[in-house]
Amino acid sequence: MIPTQLVPTPDLLQVPWGWFQLLLSTTFLLHLLVMNIMLGWAIITFCNHAFKKSIPAESQLISQKLPFTIAFTVNFGVAPLLFLQVLYGHFMYTSSVLMAVFWLSIVALLILAYYAAYIYYLQFSKLSGLHTLISGMIALFLLTIAFFFTNNLSLMVNPESWVRYFDHPQGMLLNFADSTLLPRFLHSVFASVAVGGLTLGLYHDWQSRQGNQAAAARIPSAMNWFVYATIGNFGVGTWYFGGLPVTIRTVTGVAGAFLLGFLLAGITAAILSLIYGLQHRVRHAAGAILVAITCMTGVRELVRRQTLAPLFSTSDLKVAPQYSPMILFLLLFAAGLYLVWYMIKLVLPAKKEVQS
Amino acid sequence: MNYPVWQLDAFGGGLLIALIAIVHVYVSHFAVGGGLFLVLTEMKGLREGSSEILAYTRRHTKFFLLLTMVFGSMTGVGIWFTIALLNPAATSSLIHIFVFGWAMEWVFFLAEIVSLLFYYYTFDSLSPRKHLILGWIYFGCAWASLFFINGIIDFMLTPGAWLTDHNFWSGFFNPTFWPALFFRTFMALMIAGLFGFLTSVNIKEATLRHKMVRYCGLWLVPPLFLLLGSALWYKTALPPAQQELIFIVAPEMKPFLTLFIWLSPLLTAGGLAMAILRPQGVRRPLACLLLLLGILYLGCFEFIREGGRRPYIIRDYMYSTSIKKADLPQIQKSGVLASARWAQNKKITPENRMAAGKELFTLLCLPCHSAGGPLNNILPLARRFSPAGMRSFLATMGTVNPYMPPFAGTEEEQGVLADYLTTRLVQGVADSTIHISKETIAPAPFNQETAEYLILASTDKGMILSSEPEQSGIDFSFAPPTLRTQVVLRGTPPSILTEDIQVTYRIATDNGPLIGNMTVKGTAFEATLAAIPTVNKDFRPYLLAEIEAVKDGKVIAATRLKIGISTEIGCRNCHGGPWRQQGRTGLSRQTASAILAIHDKRSKTHLSQEFSQGQIVVCGSCHADSSRGAAGQPGLLNLSAAMHGFHAAYLYKNNNSCAFCHASSDQGATGKLEDLHGTLGLECTNCHGTLADHAMGLLKQEQQAQKPGSSKLLTLLADKGEMTQAAIKGRTPWVMEPDCLTCHKGFQQPDAGTAFNTWNADKKDLFTHRHSDEGFLLCASCHGAQHSLYPADNAYSKEAGNLQPLQYQNNPYPIGADRGCAVCHTVAMEDELHHPGSLGTFRNRVE
Repeated sequence: MIPTQLVPTPDLLQVPWGWFQLLLSTTFLLHLLVMNIMLGWAIITFCNHAFKKSIPAESQLISQKLPFTIAFTVNFGVAPLLFLQVLYGHFMYTSSVLMAVFWLSIVALLILAYYAAYIYYLQFSKLSGLHTLISGMIALFLLTIAFFFTNNLSLMVNPESWVRYFDHPQGMLLNFADSTLLPRFLHSVFASVAVGGLTLGLYHDWQSRQGNQAAAARIPSAMNWFVYATIGNFGVGTWYFGGLPVTIRTVTGVAGAFLLGFLLAGITAAILSLIYGLQHRVRHAAGAILVAITCMTGVRELVRRQTLAPLFSTSDLKVAPQYSPMILFLLLFAAGLYLVWYMIKLVLPAKKEVQS
Repeated sequence: MNYPVWQLDAFGGGLLIALIAIVHVYVSHFAVGGGLFLVLTEMKGLREGSSEILAYTRRHTKFFLLLTMVFGSMTGVGIWFTIALLNPAATSSLIHIFVFGWAMEWVFFLAEIVSLLFYYYTFDSLSPRKHLILGWIYFGCAWASLFFINGIIDFMLTPGAWLTDHNFWSGFFNPTFWPALFFRTFMALMIAGLFGFLTSVNIKEATLRHKMVRYCGLWLVPPLFLLLGSALWYKTALPPAQQELIFIVAPEMKPFLTLFIWLSPLLTAGGLAMAILRPQGVRRPLACLLLLLGILYLGCFEFIREGGRRPYIIRDYMYSTSIKKADLPQIQKSGVLASARWAQNKKITPENRMAAGKELFTLLCLPCHSAGGPLNNILPLARRFSPAGMRSFLATMGTVNPYMPPFAGTEEEQGVLADYLTTRLVQGVADSTIHISKETIAPAPFNQETAEYLILASTDKGMILSSEPEQSGIDFSFAPPTLRTQVVLRGTPPSILTEDIQVTYRIATDNGPLIGNMTVKGTAFEATLAAIPTVNKDFRPYLLAEIEAVKDGKVIAATRLKIGISTEIGCRNCHGGPWRQQGRTGLSRQTASAILAIHDKRSKTHLSQEFSQGQIVVCGSCHADSSRGAAGQPGLLNLSAAMHGFHAAYLYKNNNSCAFCHASSDQGATGKLEDLHGTLGLECTNCHGTLADHAMGLLKQEQQAQKPGSSKLLTLLADKGEMTQAAIKGRTPWVMEPDCLTCHKGFQQPDAGTAFNTWNADKKDLFTHRHSDEGFLLCASCHGAQHSLYPADNAYSKEAGNLQPLQYQNNPYPIGADRGCAVCHTVAMEDELHHPGSLGTFRNRVE
C-alpha cells in the first residue's frame, strides 16, 4: 500500500483558494488568541490554587471570565475549522477518522470543562477546598483537548502514518511517531501560559489606570507568568523547529524566504516582548507578542504547505465559481461585527445608567 | 470510496449520531423558541409591573444560558465532528457546497453568544428598553441560525434544482426549505413552552406559579396546531417518490410515523392538563414527562426526515455509502475494491476472499449498519441468509429494497460479500450434505400372458410442494393430488372400463393408511385427496399408493403409483430458520414466522398475530389460487403472480433460481427433477422461461386484470428477463401452461427451442387432461405425470418413478414404447393409433 494513494480527492471550491486562506489565517489568529487566554488562565489559576497558600484575587477574576473565553474560543474555532476543511478537508477528515475516538471525545471534554468552569464561577465562594480540584479538572480537560488537536493536525499532514489504519481501524491512532508532536503541543501550552499571564497583566494595568492601586501591585506577578513561559517557549520552539524535516527547515525560493522572514520577525517580536515583559511594560509587550503570534501563524501555515507540497497544493484545487454567497457572507460578517459593536455600546454605559 | 471507514461495530448503525443529534436538535430548537420566550416573558413582566415575573425570567435565563450555550453549542460542534467521522465524503460535500452558508450561520452564532451573555449579565444594570433590544437581537440571531441550518439540512432531503445547476441558492432554497422552516419554528416555540413548564412549576408562590404554567401552556398548544399544518405542507412539498418511500414503502418508518401522530394529541392533552391541574405532585412529574415526550416527538420527526432521503445521504446525489450516484455505474463496472482508496485487496483471489469480503463489508455495510449494536444491527439480518440467498438479496438493493443503495460492486464482489456475511461474519443458513439412502420398490405383479386387465395410473402433478400447514402454520402448498387411473381390458382391440367396476386406492403413511374409492370421470377414475398427505418421518419425496380395480368383489387388477410430494421449500435461504425435518427438509415455524413478519412489514398485514395465536395462515385466502379454487380477495395478485413476481426481483440473477425455492436441486433433499427432460439436461427454464420472464408472464395477466400491484413489480423486472416485457404473453397459473407440442411438433423429436410463452388456452388442454388421438387414453397414463415423465430418475429409487412401465413392460419407458403394443392390445400393432410416432423405438435410452 502506497500511503500517498490513500489521499482522497478534494471537492470543488466556490472561489479561488486565496480567499479561503485569508479567511482561515484571519479567523485562526482570533481563535488562537482567545484559546491562549482560555488555556493560559486555566493553567495559571490551577497553579495558583495548587501552589499558593491563599486564594489569589485574580483567581476570582479568572473564574468570572473563564466561561466567556471558552464560549469565544469555541466560536472563533468554528470559522477556521470550517475554512481549514475547505482547503485541507481531504487530509483532515482522514486523520480525524484514524483518531476518531480521541477526536470525538473532544466534545465530551469540552462540555465537562465548560460546565466545570461555570461551577468554578458560580460556586467560587462555596467551593472551599475544591478550587484546586475543579480548576485542575478544567486545565486537564483543556490540555487534553489541545493535545488531541495537535495530534490531528500532525496526523493530517503525515499520510505515511495513515497505513496503520489497516491494522487499527477503530479510530484509536495517535501520531507519536511524529518527532514534532510533543514540542508542538508544548509550544502551544507555553504560549498559552504566556498570553494568559500577559492578559492578566493587561487587565491589572487597565485597572491601575482606572485608579485601582492594588491592581498595579499584581502586574509583576502576572508578567512573571508571561516572561518565564516565553523564555521556556524559546527552548520548546527550538526543539520544535529542530524536529521538522530538513527539507522544510532548508526550503529555498519564495516559500523559503517567506518562512525565514516570518520566523525571524516572529522571534524578534518575541524577544522584544520578553524585554518589555521584564520591564513590566505590559502594553508594549502585548503589542510585540501580537506581532510574534501573527508571524508564527504564518510560519505554521508555511510549514503545513511545505510538508504537504510533494502531495498537494491549495492551488491544485479546482474552482466552480460562485461569488454571490461569499459576497453575502462578507456583508453579513461586517453587519455582524457592527451588531456586536452596537451591543457593546449599548451595554458599556450600563453602570452609568444605574448610577444615575 | 474516498475515505477510511471508522469501524464502530456495536456503536455503528447511526447510534452515535442519533444520540448526539436528537439531544442537540432539541436543545438548539429551545435556543430559538426559548429566546422569544425570554423577551416576551420579560415584556409581560414589564407590562404587568410584576417584579416576580421579571425575577422568574431572570432565573429562566440562567437555566437557558447554561443549557443552550454550553450543552447546545458544544453538541452542535459535536454533530459536526460526528458526521465528519461517520461520513466524511458527505460532510466534505456539504462543507464545500455551503461553505458560506455555514460561515453566515457562524456570524449569527457569534452574535447569539454576545447578545445572550449581555442579556443575562445586564438584567439589573440596563434600562428595560435596551435590555429588551438585546433579547430581540438574541432571538433574531438564533432564528437566523435556524434559517441557515434548515436550508442545508433540507438540501440533504430535497436538493431540488441544485442537482442540475449546482447553484448555491438552488440548493439552499430547496423544495422543502420553507415548510421545514415553519415546521421547525413552531417546533421551537413548542419546546420553549415545554422547558417553560420545567422552570415555572418550581416557582414558589402558588398564584404566580399557576399563572406562569398556564402562560407556558400557550406556548405549547397553539404552535402544536400550526406545526401540524406545516407538517402537512412539508409532506406535500416532498417529491412523490420520497412521499411513497416514507409513508408507504419503508416499513421502518411506520413506528416513527405512528408515534409522531399519537404524540400530537398527547402533548396537547398534557399541555391542557398542566394548565388545569394545580397539585404540585402532578405538575412536576408531568412537566418532566412532557419534556421527554417532546424529545420523542422531535426524535420521531428527525428519524422520518432522515429516512426520507434513503438510500442517500444527499438525496439523488450521494448514497449513504459515500458513493456519488453519478459514479455508481463506473464503480459497478470496475469494482468497489479497485475503486476504493482505502481497500487493500484490490483483486480477489482464493487466498484473500474473506479479507476482501471484510473490506467490502466495511465499505458498503458499515456506513449504515452496526455489527451487534442496538441500531441497524446487521448480524441477525445476515444470520437468516444462505450465501446464495444473501447474493440474491444484495442484487435487489436499490430496486425491491429502495431504501438501500444499489450494490456498488461487481457480481464477483457480490458473491464474496455474501459469502463473508453468511459464513464469516455470522454463521448464516447452511446446508449439510444430504445423504440419500436408496430403496428398491417392487412394482405390482403382472403376467403379460395371463393378465386380463391392467391399470394405468398417474397423478395430475408429478411433484407437489407442501408447506405442511399443520406443522409450519402457513399454507401455500400446491393443490392436493388428484389420482387418475384408467382400467384397460386387454384384447384386440382393448377397451377402457368405467362401468361395473370399483377402483380403490390405499396410500400408506406414517399416520396410517389413506383409503378411498375413485369415481368415474370421462374415461378415467379419479380421486382428489382432501389434503396433501403428510410425508413420512424418514423423508422421501413421495408416497406410494396401492390401486386396485375390483369387479364383482374380485380384484381384477392392481398397480402401485408414486405420488410425488416434497416439503423441500427453500424459503429459509433468505428468511432464515432451520429445516423442520431431519435437518434437510420441511418449512419450520421459525422460517414461517420470519416470512409473515416481512409480509406484515411490507404489506401492512397482521399475519404474525394470527400465526402466534396458533392459526394457520392460508395464503390463498387473500391471493387467488386457481389450482385450489381459492378466489382470493379482489384487487390482490393471485398467489403465483405474487410469489414469483415479488421474488423474481431478488432471484432473477441466480443461475439456479427455480431450485432456490422449489425442490429441484440435485444438492437438495428431493434430488433433481426426475423427469426424463431433467435426465436429458433440460432445465426448468426450457419450458417455463427464466424466472424474470416467468414472473412477467404471470404479472402481465394480472396487469390486464388491472390488479394494482402488478405494474410496480413489472417495472422492477422490466430489464431483467431474456425477452422484452412487451413480447411476453400473460398467462393464468395452473390453467395456461407450456404445451409439449410446442417443442414436439407433430409428436416428433424437438429442435432446440423453448416452450415458454406459448400457452394452452384452456384447462382441458393441459397435459394432465389431454387424450391421445383416439380420444380415450390419457397422455399421462402412458407417459406418467408431468415433471415425472417416463423414464423417470428419482434420486431415492430408480423404480419409484417408473412403477407401471416396470410392472407391465419390465422397462422404464412409456407404456407401449418400442412397439410394446401387446401390453394392452396383446398383439403387435401396425397403425399409429395414439399419436404419430407412437410405433417408433423410444429414443432416450437409459442405463
